[in-house]
Amino acid sequence: MIQEFCDWLSTTGISIAFQSANWFVPTVQTVHIISIAILLTSVYVVSFRLIGVTRGRQPLAVLIARSTPWVWTTLCVLLGTGILLTITEPARELLNWVFRLKMLMVAALAGILLVVQIRMRRSPDYWTESLARRLAARAIGIAAVLIGAGIVTAGRWIAYV
Amino acid sequence: MAFEHALTQLQNLNFPTQIRESDWLFPTIETVHVFALVLVVGSIMTVDLRLLGFANKERPFSQVASEMLPWTWVAFVVAALAGMMMFSSKALTYYSNIPFRLKMACLLLAGINMVMFHWLGTRHLEIWDRGRPPWGARFAGGTSLLLWTTIVAAGRWIGFTT
Repeated sequence: MIQEFCDWLSTTGISIAFQSANWFVPTVQTVHIISIAILLTSVYVVSFRLIGVTRGRQPLAVLIARSTPWVWTTLCVLLGTGILLTITEPARELLNWVFRLKMLMVAALAGILLVVQIRMRRSPDYWTESLARRLAARAIGIAAVLIGAGIVTAGRWIAYV
Repeated sequence: MAFEHALTQLQNLNFPTQIRESDWLFPTIETVHVFALVLVVGSIMTVDLRLLGFANKERPFSQVASEMLPWTWVAFVVAALAGMMMFSSKALTYYSNIPFRLKMACLLLAGINMVMFHWLGTRHLEIWDRGRPPWGARFAGGTSLLLWTTIVAAGRWIGFTT
């Protein structure tokens, strides 16, 4: 069924228009990469604080609040540019298990970020007020770093699998 | 001529040949390159956006810069090493590739821009550290943003032209 959807999508006017413009894919990929640069840097700066590798001079709650609009704006741009790339080459993405793995990791990362942000908004000391919370914050930070690296890795390997 | 000869010798070395002939070595090194590059660009753009007044406006510039620069340097070393490995595998092809040359030129200009900023742009930093940077510093931030965008674009174009 996905195969049929890909066949149909790749013959639509919009897909053919994207495919025939040589500049389209590299340009959209450039926007995609710059967005992930800002997203991943924000996620890593927050994660390293959660893990306790870096100390930083602004409180964790302020750091997270500052990064929040950037995280969701870049995620929206990534989704938009990702959809454009998928319309251009549906089978390259939708039939590829690496692409599916990447989408699962994106969902997991978005979920983690949402939990961290919501808890922090309710109580600025949430992630630091007890040993159990500090350990949880450390585990979440490590997970976010690994998933972030996994997303970039999967993104590049879609082209090779 | 002598330079082309040196590049040929480089790509005929053991490891470059392995990268070229292996199915997984090039994509793996490329993945490390992209991962590191993403952090280089993200950390530099954070500083540029502070200079331009789009992010971290309430924080002293010196604080933003000193927190981001370690990320930039560590990631840059990794990206550069991985980039050199990729280059060595097809040195002649990359050397004659226009987007590759553009990327190297922009990297050089970004370096010059950074050195100029640190020499000239951070004079009297104590006056504007907590506020709006003077136009020279904003210009350096805008130039950096433009150059790094071009570096990413040219880097992506290399993959479509080699």
